[in-house]
Amino acid sequence: MSIMQYNGGSVIAMVGKDCVAIASDLRLGNQALGISSNFQKIFSVTDRIYLGLPGLATDVTTLRELFRYRVNMYTIKEEREIQPETFAHLVSSTLYEHRFGPYFIEPVMAGLSKTPSGSFKPFIAATDLIGCLNFAKDFVVAGTASEKLYGVAEGLWESDLEPEDLFETISQTMLNAVDRDAYSGWGVVVHVITKDKVVTRTLKGRMD
Amino acid sequence: MPDMVSIGQPQQRQFNPYSENGGTILAIAGANFSVIAGDTRQSEGYNIQTRYAPKVFRLTDKAVLAVNGFAADGSMFVKKVKQRLEWYRHAHAKDMPLRAIARLIQTMLYSRRFFPYYVYNILGGIEEDGSGAVYSFDPVGSYERESCRAAGAAQSLVQPFLDNQIYFKNQRPPPGTSNPTHLPLHEVLSLVIDSFTSATERHIEVGDGLEIFVVLAKGSTTQGLENFANVQEMTQTREGERMFNIRRNLKRD
Amino acid sequence: MANTGGGAYSYSLTVFSPSGKLVQIEHALAAVSQGTTSLGIKASNGIVIATEKKTSSILIDDLMLEKVAVVCPNIGIVYSGMGPDFRVLITRARKSAQAYWKMYGEYPPTRILTQEIANVMQQATQSGGVRPYGVSLLVAGWDGTRGQQLFQVDPSGSFWAWKASAIGKNMVNAKTFLEKRYNDDISLEDAIHTALLTLKEGFEGQMTEKTIEIGIISVPSTAEREEPTSAATGRPKATFRKLTEEEIKDYLAL
Repeated sequence: MSIMQYNGGSVIAMVGKDCVAIASDLRLGNQALGISSNFQKIFSVTDRIYLGLPGLATDVTTLRELFRYRVNMYTIKEEREIQPETFAHLVSSTLYEHRFGPYFIEPVMAGLSKTPSGSFKPFIAATDLIGCLNFAKDFVVAGTASEKLYGVAEGLWESDLEPEDLFETISQTMLNAVDRDAYSGWGVVVHVITKDKVVTRTLKGRMD
Repeated sequence: MPDMVSIGQPQQRQFNPYSENGGTILAIAGANFSVIAGDTRQSEGYNIQTRYAPKVFRLTDKAVLAVNGFAADGSMFVKKVKQRLEWYRHAHAKDMPLRAIARLIQTMLYSRRFFPYYVYNILGGIEEDGSGAVYSFDPVGSYERESCRAAGAAQSLVQPFLDNQIYFKNQRPPPGTSNPTHLPLHEVLSLVIDSFTSATERHIEVGDGLEIFVVLAKGSTTQGLENFANVQEMTQTREGERMFNIRRNLKRD
Repeated sequence: MANTGGGAYSYSLTVFSPSGKLVQIEHALAAVSQGTTSLGIKASNGIVIATEKKTSSILIDDLMLEKVAVVCPNIGIVYSGMGPDFRVLITRARKSAQAYWKMYGEYPPTRILTQEIANVMQQATQSGGVRPYGVSLLVAGWDGTRGQQLFQVDPSGSFWAWKASAIGKNMVNAKTFLEKRYNDDISLEDAIHTALLTLKEGFEGQMTEKTIEIGIISVPSTAEREEPTSAATGRPKATFRKLTEEEIKDYLAL
């Protein structure tokens, strides 16, 4: 049993038309034993960047605090909000600092980045546990249900989805993928990020 | 000069009789039809052995068997099933009914309980009552009748997608309506094709070609089947069951 | 007792004199004001930094002499004061820029890089066994958040943003000259000419493409900013560059 499967959990992020969505399950387990059905794995970094941290639960907490520290230092030092692309690099370099004793987390990021002309561009990225970046144009997945997520997302996702349709797509992808994964499930939380608001919904699904 | 250390030392030799040859199979039952599909890539590790190795076989005029796992065991198993079906024809002057084939496969698999055929089987076809049916098996013969099943390398990619699109899992029907229990043929075929293109996109062991068998119950129309490219009619029984074969290309990378 | 200005306090770098001064820093500033004049002007669409490049003998091959240095594609620095000290600082600045790139996947904003250099210079005023850097710097840079910015860093480690500034031997006169010539909507082309005129004021000897160095920031257009990396190389497009001798020659001819 890999340490990556010890606590279970999965995250997915998708690109839509002028919006992005990120979703995770809410299970915290101890191998086959369920511990909590309200374990949040997605955290807001700025108003327009969300970060999902599936993997070993202790590292979820540690990395969450580490990134909070580093982003706060960046914001104060540079007197500006960090952009998603920059944050993705920060995540990557932070994980690579521990190349030979890594955090057991595969982060997933979703956000909107400001373009020079002042509009917002959807951005998603994911890395492996040592920080190898994957900038995908459609969707990124991670966690114990990643294979299932890939399969369903590949079948359901289409380009230029409006926020409400993107919500349906990511929710259905997540719910059906985690239903086939014993280590993920026990509820799903979905964030849909648009330029002027973030809509967060908690879904019940089948709680077994 | 003999190596003094190695003499008298216990040595272990090992032969692993099994291999895993990738690929994925899939079957979906409709009200009066059954669709059985598989990709045609055969691989061992990162090596592609062939881009065309069929995994789906016609057993009778209304039964199709898809085998996935260890290819050598697969072809031997299909051969033996076909042989048993021929003996049945000689003895009874008719084809074995689908549910009997399913039970036969269980018996054959379980007879090798301690040296199993390393194969996942999916049997599709038309029951005696004219309904479309899918039976799925594990390597030692545990089986059940379902209306949809994926197996093989990309099972974990395809099955949750099918749960959603065939069983309408996590989808609540609009008030006053209910989700359909069976889908029409053209929708089933689209889902099969989508499933395999998706699996090809994300799984290295899936690709090259797609072979789909369609079995129609007697008295049913072609239900839009003629709109698909490369459809070939294989057999037609006197009673009216028809079997079709569709071949498509999948990405070869 | 030392016979230089600071008396007993002039030896220890880290001891304040009763009047509240760190005398070694004053000496470092004196070293700067003996250096050749450098100046910088921020224009509406760019920045120019320029310096006089003096050699003590005609036998010296000035090919090796570099007073305007590129730190990273969006930042350049010119100095007045001690050449060797500058070389150390520019190496530190370049390392700092690359470290930033490694962490964030982009080059540092001008202020961040300036602050890093200023920290290095400040540490030399508070550490044992070292002396302050004998240079003042003019840092010119462009970044997406703050646009073009011109900073001056002194041996004490203090830094300010300027619209136009001069450092080195002729700085007082040069600043007076710049005050008269500067306006907020000056173009880069005009700023380059103003820079040359200012340098000419206190120039010793002939001003040629061999005896001055110029670096410029060109502010990219919004369209250019949408494509921040070169399609051919995949590297960020430079906003800072040094003018070639040919280009300087053309400006001098006008």
